[in-house]
Amino acid sequence: MKVGSEHTLPPTACVARAFRQYALLAVVFSLVFTADGVVRASDYPNRPITIICPWAAGGGTDRVSRRMAFELERKLQVPVNVINATGGKGVTGHNRGLKSRPDGYTLTMMTFELNTMHWMRLTDLTYKDALPLVSVNEDYAALLVAADSPWQSVSDVAAAIKAAQEPLTASGTAAGGAWHLALAGWLDSADLPAEKVVWIPSAGSSPSLQQLVSGGVDMVCCSLPEARSLLEAGTVRALGVMSPERAVGFEQVLTFGDQGDSWTLGGWRGLGLPLGTPPEVVAKLRDTLEAIVSAPASQPDSFAAFMQQQKFDSTWRDAEEFEQFMADGDAKLGKILQSEALAAVSEDRFNPMLYPSLLFGIGLISAGWCFVSRAAPTEIPAATADASAGDVAIQSTRPWNAILCIASIALFALVAEQVGFVIVSIALLAALQILLGTRPPLAILVAVILGPAVYLLFAKALRVGLPMGWFGW
Amino acid sequence: MEILTDAFYLVIEPTTLLVIVAAAMYGLMVGAIPGLTATMAIALMVPLTFYLNEVAAIAAIVTAVTCSIFAGDIPSALIRIPGTPASAAYANDAYALTGQGKHRLALKLALYASVAGGLLGTVLLVIAARPLAAIATQFTSFEYFWLYVLGLCCAIAVSDRGQARSLFALTLGLLFSTVGLAPDFSVPRLTFGLNELINGISFIPAMIGLFGISEVLRVAVTLPQRRPHSGAPSAQASAQGSVQASTPEATVGAASFVFGRKWALIKSSSIGGVIGMLPGAGADIAAWISYAVSKRSSKHPERYGQGTTEGIADATGANNAALGSAWIPALVFGIPGDSVTAIALGVLMMKNITPGPQIFDFAENAQQATLVVCLYFTFVLANLVLIPLGLLAIRTGGLLVRIPRAILLPAVVLFCIVGSFSIAASYVDVWIMLAFGCLGFALERWGIPLAPIVLGLILGGPLEHRFLQSITVANSPLAFVDSLISVVLAAGCVIVVVLPWWSARSALR
Repeated sequence: MKVGSEHTLPPTACVARAFRQYALLAVVFSLVFTADGVVRASDYPNRPITIICPWAAGGGTDRVSRRMAFELERKLQVPVNVINATGGKGVTGHNRGLKSRPDGYTLTMMTFELNTMHWMRLTDLTYKDALPLVSVNEDYAALLVAADSPWQSVSDVAAAIKAAQEPLTASGTAAGGAWHLALAGWLDSADLPAEKVVWIPSAGSSPSLQQLVSGGVDMVCCSLPEARSLLEAGTVRALGVMSPERAVGFEQVLTFGDQGDSWTLGGWRGLGLPLGTPPEVVAKLRDTLEAIVSAPASQPDSFAAFMQQQKFDSTWRDAEEFEQFMADGDAKLGKILQSEALAAVSEDRFNPMLYPSLLFGIGLISAGWCFVSRAAPTEIPAATADASAGDVAIQSTRPWNAILCIASIALFALVAEQVGFVIVSIALLAALQILLGTRPPLAILVAVILGPAVYLLFAKALRVGLPMGWFGW
Repeated sequence: MEILTDAFYLVIEPTTLLVIVAAAMYGLMVGAIPGLTATMAIALMVPLTFYLNEVAAIAAIVTAVTCSIFAGDIPSALIRIPGTPASAAYANDAYALTGQGKHRLALKLALYASVAGGLLGTVLLVIAARPLAAIATQFTSFEYFWLYVLGLCCAIAVSDRGQARSLFALTLGLLFSTVGLAPDFSVPRLTFGLNELINGISFIPAMIGLFGISEVLRVAVTLPQRRPHSGAPSAQASAQGSVQASTPEATVGAASFVFGRKWALIKSSSIGGVIGMLPGAGADIAAWISYAVSKRSSKHPERYGQGTTEGIADATGANNAALGSAWIPALVFGIPGDSVTAIALGVLMMKNITPGPQIFDFAENAQQATLVVCLYFTFVLANLVLIPLGLLAIRTGGLLVRIPRAILLPAVVLFCIVGSFSIAASYVDVWIMLAFGCLGFALERWGIPLAPIVLGLILGGPLEHRFLQSITVANSPLAFVDSLISVVLAAGCVIVVVLPWWSARSALR
């Protein structure tokens, strides 16, 4: 503890003195920012709304979410931001959105996977944990092959699967994703041997379509809009779509029903709220959203016009129908996912721990090699250039500084959500500066200016959802 | 010809030019803030493109990406936090130059090399889109597997601290990448019962922690209280250096240095261009591979990792060249090469333009062809606009090194927190950043390089995924070297690993 002995005033006293000097300034700054936050008690909505998108930026769900944010912003007159909470096959985003504070300020763009992930025991979350608002789109699965494939119809594929000696390969999404289930469900319902088709998991429809074109897989199951440009270029061919009626914009593609097969399955997207949201907020959002999705496509700049341009299906359902739709889908998927044809989904082809254990082995070997080569005299010159500078400084090492830095970050992560970003960041900046040796008045001045400035930059200009806390900032 | 002039007039319209300048400034700002990626910059711009015509919309996207990838070098040189993952390969070099008081030189070098690389990448896009696209279609999972392995081998080969340590760091990164629920498996791995980790470890908070927080900790423990200037060696040096580097010679020096390396830059830009066009590989791997190639062919390989000017120039050139060619698969097949072009494709489709082979049929569809030419012009303009604005950004950023460390470090801490938080507004990412900060601090003390960990994190998922895909399809192990491209890439891996050994042995003799 050399730190304390060199300096007469303990840090706490410095802070107290500085607070007296700069309290006024801090109060003025706080007031300016409160003007933004204190009015929150009045009508909904009066602060930014967030839409949680469980899938990555640039994908279909993201595009729909961002357009929806744009429409909502126009109607509600508050900023509406999209956060891509990706990963865990959609579990992360759905959980984040549907378990958030039920105040109507966090909407979730729910997708088809909400109905599958609980059957796959990835989460306890089901459609019953969501207050449905409105569904905005239904895209059905389609079976696609490369332009040079001999298969011309769904029955050709069925015959090929029956006759296959070596298993055929198919791709389109991750294992257990919508399009995988669609294909597996079809195989099951048409009594085709499921083991004759190997599903090659992929990160999404784009890489699988690329694999299809390069000859890496025999067929791809994904939605028609995802394959649109390849279809129009004639590089791939759609054999059938698993929808009750032909898809809007792709009328030339036959349905499975047209080809004597009754199988249908599609993905969908719709907005939902966490349970417990005040009824008047739910009602307001339902009205607004219905107005948005029911505006006709003929009206330029409408949501439907956007969906049509992107070749997304723009079927929509109101809250009640949406809930029923999810319930039906959930039951149907439960049947597929528990069927034998899909046993392969819950059972991995390769031991998941094989690769990590292999890496662990290599890691141990290389660590051993490091140890040995360290003993050898030829090594190290490069490393020492940096390390020697460190060695000199070690005489004046102050480990407390590092521990305090770490502690301050941990503290931030723990309290920011309750207290709010601006207050916590000012406290963090001021405390760290003083501890590192800045004069307290200067430190507090810098903190009081920089904290709110960072908030303005990120939350206002870049629209990042920073922690709200007590005052809304 | 008519198309050329049409496109030219469309691009030099005042609104378009204004949009380009605004997008450039926006791109520079977002790129310079650690944690905000080029993808995020574009995603945030999407609602704005609803109001713009198609030329302006494309111009905005292209310019913002070009500028943000360069701007990623600014924080990586000044405070050793790579602004974007593409800068991680040479973050230590740029920061070492700053430590020697040459941050202006490092950044100007990066700027001119970026512009040169960007322009060369555009040339590649213009003249070679069709043939390159033909190569890209031949990439099956085997070829991708080898490409990722090659990227990893390069990270081992460029090591300046012994290959064993690089290998260790790389394995660590790969191991971290297996945490969470992968697309290939139905059960999450290595989460140790923590539900938060089902998402895996995202590499941006990890990168910010490894480079940023660990450096903060390193400086903090050596920082004497009350005398902010005498502690950190780099602060001292840069205080003298900033005076000396602001003389006009530095500008001329950087520009002529880049011009003097024109052949090396053409080489690295071609590497960047070819890798950038492969969906999913992109600018990050391009920077690594050309850094390795650059070290291999350099007369001073010992400077790599210690502040090499050559390596910085080549690698920044490559990552900017990759941006142009990322559009090749997007335009030719409608398959986006990266998340940025994925968003751009959405915008194009909204403006009633369908990418695909027919987009190059200049006789068939004049309107689309004009737009493609506009895209080329925009790339050139974006790179030209980057020079003055980039210099301005360097000048502004240069002020950072004059701020006393005791004030700068807390601010860096705050930016690290906000940067990792803002990706998904998640506290888990803040904890990940903190954990990796402590890890990075410890590893550096033991002389383990940090950059390979980042590469391992980025490539680990795709590598395993492509490997599993390959062995699912393969009938025999020979399938891995069944095509010409596979053989070439596999041979590249062997050469990259064996050659340094072999030349070291023959040098001893």
